[in-house]
Amino acid sequence: MRVDPRARGAVRYSVDADMPGQLHAALVRSTVAHGVVRGIDVSGVAPGVTVLLPEDVADLPLYGCQIADQAVLAERPRHAGDVVAAVAAPTPAAARAAARAVVVEVDELPAVFDALDAAREEAPLLHEGLSVSDNDAAYFGIRPVAGTNICHRFRIRHGDVEAGFAAADVVVEGTFRTPAAAHVPMEPHATVARFTEDGRLEVVTGTQTPFNMRMELAAMFGLDEEDVRIVVPPMGGSFGAKTFTRQEGIVAALARKTGRPVKLVLGRSEEFLTLNRHPSIVHVRLGATRTGDLVAKAVTCWADTGAYADCGPGVAQKMGFAAPGPYRIPNCWVDAHAVYTNTPPNGAFRGYGAMQSIWASERTMDLLAARLGTGPLELRRRNLLRDGDAYATGEAMHGTCFEELLDRAAAAVGYEHDPAGKGLCLVMKGMQTPSRASIAIEREGDGYVIRCATTEMGQGARRSLALLAAERLGCRPEQIRVPDPDTDRVPYDTRTTSSRSTFMMAGALAEACEALLEDGRRGHGTIVNDGGLDPDTGQGVASTHWHQAAGAAHLEVDEETGRVRLHRVHCAVYAGRVVNAPGAALQNEGSMTMGLGTALFESVDFNEGQVTNANLSDYNVPTARDAAALTHELVEREGAPIHGLGETALPPVPAAIGNALASLGIELYDLPMTPERVLEAIDRRAAPSPEPDLEARRR
Amino acid sequence: MRWHAPADLEEALLLRGVHGEDVTVHAGGTFLGILMNQGLIAPPALLSLGRVAELRGIEVARGELRLGAMATHLAVERHPEVREGWPMLARAFGLVASRRVRAVATVGGVLADADYASDPPAALSALGARAILRGPGGERSVSIEELILGYYTTCIRPDELLVEVRVPPAPERAVYRKFVSRSSEDRPCVTVAAAHGAAGLAVVVGALAERPQRFDDLCAAAAGDLAAAGAREQLAQDYAARVEPIGDARGSAAYRRRVCAVEVRRALEALAA
Repeated sequence: MRVDPRARGAVRYSVDADMPGQLHAALVRSTVAHGVVRGIDVSGVAPGVTVLLPEDVADLPLYGCQIADQAVLAERPRHAGDVVAAVAAPTPAAARAAARAVVVEVDELPAVFDALDAAREEAPLLHEGLSVSDNDAAYFGIRPVAGTNICHRFRIRHGDVEAGFAAADVVVEGTFRTPAAAHVPMEPHATVARFTEDGRLEVVTGTQTPFNMRMELAAMFGLDEEDVRIVVPPMGGSFGAKTFTRQEGIVAALARKTGRPVKLVLGRSEEFLTLNRHPSIVHVRLGATRTGDLVAKAVTCWADTGAYADCGPGVAQKMGFAAPGPYRIPNCWVDAHAVYTNTPPNGAFRGYGAMQSIWASERTMDLLAARLGTGPLELRRRNLLRDGDAYATGEAMHGTCFEELLDRAAAAVGYEHDPAGKGLCLVMKGMQTPSRASIAIEREGDGYVIRCATTEMGQGARRSLALLAAERLGCRPEQIRVPDPDTDRVPYDTRTTSSRSTFMMAGALAEACEALLEDGRRGHGTIVNDGGLDPDTGQGVASTHWHQAAGAAHLEVDEETGRVRLHRVHCAVYAGRVVNAPGAALQNEGSMTMGLGTALFESVDFNEGQVTNANLSDYNVPTARDAAALTHELVEREGAPIHGLGETALPPVPAAIGNALASLGIELYDLPMTPERVLEAIDRRAAPSPEPDLEARRR
Repeated sequence: MRWHAPADLEEALLLRGVHGEDVTVHAGGTFLGILMNQGLIAPPALLSLGRVAELRGIEVARGELRLGAMATHLAVERHPEVREGWPMLARAFGLVASRRVRAVATVGGVLADADYASDPPAALSALGARAILRGPGGERSVSIEELILGYYTTCIRPDELLVEVRVPPAPERAVYRKFVSRSSEDRPCVTVAAAHGAAGLAVVVGALAERPQRFDDLCAAAAGDLAAAGAREQLAQDYAARVEPIGDARGSAAYRRRVCAVEVRRALEALAA
């Protein structure tokens, strides 16, 4: 019997990686949300422990994948949990004890915790003089707004939106909020690093972005990129948490100071301080003719990126270009912003900004349907994008199958038979554009070895690549070895994000296999997808192909407690062509389970910037029993290209559930849809008011 | 950190007597593990009861159920005599967290932790259970209400161990309701344990305040007419008015008060059915 190595405990994850002679690190964090370090007292630290202080890293430049705004150690902590010092000791326990013994004195500065407050002119500024990073993750024309906390603003200007609203017979609007959320990978962030005798920096770490990290660490330590080596063992989950440079700079700086390899594994509570999902505030105004044709849409998105930009500009931009939704809208304006607040940084999270926009936009579609007196299914069918239609970015749609997906999702819950307690959602999500993927494949014994930067985080990337190569080369997948990505040995790839790897690497791999068959020994392939948007008009190519899905939910509500009981949530997801059927199914199941947590349970809660639920008892994720109501299907088309499946089934879940509640007159605007919020919405239904006051909904 | 692992109860009591507050008692470790991992406590020494076999028993003696302090939740949930004689208790223990947690979490642990967001304390209270505390001065028996004083606080003295829980013969009718506001394995937001028999009516609301909420005067006044929907509703409203709920990640105080009224009424309906 073939037992998955994960089930046998045979996988060596980043947490298992060791280097001979290593020390163990622990971090000293600010307890203050915004302040200036006045002094650090290390007199209580045991002898033999090395303490890394801000002066030890004063020579290292600011870093950040899109905006260079973060110091390796914070002399001015900008969130509760910001790392102000670090220690290295012979054992993890000694390191933790030493970190506890370091006393940090901080003078407090005024802090701001809400994106709308932070965007006001009088708000305390987190960063002065933002400089766009020269990392290749900063590729899309980042537009910081000088003198504000807005580190990027993105616009779509398609048609004349005011003329559109003037022509509309019906206009609806709403403001929708989503909270911070934690990725909760089972394996926390883990890194081991050393400087070699010849001055190279070697890092073994769980990351989805080895080449971005190589670039960033090279710039940080003044090395050539070739003198930084990043090796990526399989990750025990990531979901976006392990992207770009997190703790790696600190670990490398400790290795530099001690002259020894240093290992750091974060604790569970630290995960909640390291990287979360962007809280969002999305305001949608949507207008249509009496007959149900969409004529105008205006969307304003606020993505709270926390204390450091990380990839927040990119998330805000994606939130922006997901906002029009998969519909023909002749006049559509979008204004999206990434804003600093004094909370832990927010970054990539499965769904990458699209979930937040889709929650708002798809809920608004149902508000409009109710106002028009038409069915939500009919309204979507009437307006959805078909091949040849122009999207709000100006790009012509191709390979669309929204109608089929919508029909399948609706059929799964018997929507047309009886829409009560049922809701729909249509999703269109972009894939990283532009980007580049390269791969090499070589003969090895009686098989082959693939050299590729695609990281394995449980999504089954290696299996998919082996299957694809075996198909091309006429061998068994078991004959193909896919070792851990190592930047010394694999060709450049943009990163393992954005559900792009199976599609992009498959393209490069096809070329590489062909070259190998010709050469007999090795082959190399590269694929590039070109495009991008003008950040001031949002015109261009947002995505060279689109991830498409439809969701449907069927539920009932305990109207006395507000508790939702799901009968079924179904997602129909467009795969184009399925490469690895069990892996594809697991991607959908995982995405939907995360979507369920987003919909009903999950929120990182704060009190004056302090996370109040940094553990898995108070922060609640779905369990297998909760996932029992989730079903999905993969839609393929003859001759169609592969479509990535890593995230597509997440965004439909919250909005489908929200719209199912709306079908019962229970209108929710904020996630998660806790029983308490549902009960409040039931109270509002009894005494109708348009939407709860935004001020009252702030914490 | 020192790890004491006595082989029997006598040795355990001796160590407890000698070290007192300097040792933290370790039973199943499900709660202690969280506190230590979170860095909330860093005890210099642990006194593990894991090897003390005599605390693991579950037996019925003279109609009374005796649960050893080290009996696991899973053992209580599965025990044929508990299921037969005290089905409400088996159910309450069986609703805790996941099977993996229930396989190690203990009866004594969940009471001695006095964590408000737990199922068993309210269920045991409604059934009139008593905890047996043993120390150098001998043994004493306290009710659940006497045992749990507030957040994570009990009347157990530094030289005592909770060794057993005794549950009197079950009343004719007893129900346990667990309301969770998030995932199916979440800790409770509001629980209601209700029992009705020769000893009268007992209604205990758990998880919504720092300790189980029980108002025997309200129950005594209402016990006679549970068959009437109006009386059940009234008692539920009276409970909701009297409880002192807290707010946490599982619901605000106001929400919990509202759910209390609904869940107490539903528990009473089930009792009357």
